[in-house]
Amino acid sequence: MQGYGTKIIDLAESNAKVIAKQWAADVRKHKRTPSYHNLPEDQVIDQAIIFYMHFRQMFFTEKPFEAAKGFSIKYAEDRYKEKIPLQEALYALILIRRHLWLYAEFQAIFITTLEQRQATESLNRTILMFDYVCYQVTERYQELLSVDVDKRLGIIKSFTLEHPGWEQKSFFKTGMMFLMLIFAGALTYYYHAVVGTGAIFTHLFYIPIILAALWWKRAGVYVSLALGMLLLLSHAAFLDDVPFTENVVRAFMFLIIGTVLDRLMDGIRQVEGLYKQLTM
Amino acid sequence: MKAFAAKMIELAEKNADKIAKQWAKDVMTNTKTYSYHSASEEQIMSEAVRFYHQFRSIFFDEDPYGQAEEIFEKYADEKYNEGIPLHETMYATVLMRRHIWLYAEFQSMFVSEVEHRKAIEGLTRTILMFDYIMYVIARKYWKLMKLESHRQMMNQDQSAR
Repeated sequence: MQGYGTKIIDLAESNAKVIAKQWAADVRKHKRTPSYHNLPEDQVIDQAIIFYMHFRQMFFTEKPFEAAKGFSIKYAEDRYKEKIPLQEALYALILIRRHLWLYAEFQAIFITTLEQRQATESLNRTILMFDYVCYQVTERYQELLSVDVDKRLGIIKSFTLEHPGWEQKSFFKTGMMFLMLIFAGALTYYYHAVVGTGAIFTHLFYIPIILAALWWKRAGVYVSLALGMLLLLSHAAFLDDVPFTENVVRAFMFLIIGTVLDRLMDGIRQVEGLYKQLTM
Repeated sequence: MKAFAAKMIELAEKNADKIAKQWAKDVMTNTKTYSYHSASEEQIMSEAVRFYHQFRSIFFDEDPYGQAEEIFEKYADEKYNEGIPLHETMYATVLMRRHIWLYAEFQSMFVSEVEHRKAIEGLTRTILMFDYIMYVIARKYWKLMKLESHRQMMNQDQSAR
């Protein structure tokens, strides 16, 4: 293997800067890589130089997939940080390969029959490496995207108690909700039956409604419905001379908040599920 | 180049079933295409058979990129809806290309010196087509992923209102 690739590798290494410059000129005006158009030339050139300098190491190894990883991951992370869309990052890579080949053809390094045969083998090997690099770059981009989504959902996730390894928390969640509902009942009884007022203690009811929506599907609606019913029934039983209107409005608001939160959480769960499915 | 390419494309079309079967076997066991492992062989095979038949239209078109765009945007859409991760879809497509080549080599299509020279030209053209295909697939997936999250956000906004 060492024999046939030497020519192309030597060419790539000794002319890395020239080839990279040609590539940079192409990528900075190519219609499929618009995100590169405004990047400074030096910054763009460096991307290709790094690749051409790693080329030998990737080309001659017994495990090209493993050898390509270092370059691919760094390339994907840097491009992702620069906000280059995946298809453009991949196309830029494709152009790195094409420019190497164009330069080799231009230098006419494959002329004789033997050299032509070497050219086929070199081309095959180069393509294999690029297949690996494209695969790894795509995979890494998706991982980064998934991490980004997770980060953005981080605050919500800490409330949902859904972090990996926290499965045992489901018992904790049920227990907490049960206690909160008991507390809500006791509070309602105290204010309605003992104090005899419809004072605004019901703001506290939003805590179990919000948590239920975050923790379980549809639970936000059910808990708000239950608390609304509790409020109205308690009013009917203990508050004879206080008008119903305020508590009806409160119960109605519970239901609206519970439903809206439930829909929001549904959307968030779907986005999260989608990214997990497409990136794992 | 066209004569040589025609030979290769003809080979791929004529033996689409055989090449697709070898590809399906590969993709169903390859560690880089995990999502294909549990799919049925017929379903996977039909995908490759269709691909090998469509390849001619891209290869010989005056505007191969436009043709690739037309065919592979739909393909990417299907794969996306099946929930196949992008890197696996791309690798499965890479394997489709490799299997044409493997079959061509296995059939000893390139023996003489002239054939070898033509092989390079054919290979270069095939790779160019696949470069376009990869770009189209990646762009479509990325667009769909963004659209999906945007749609979800819109739904949330609407329900919040």
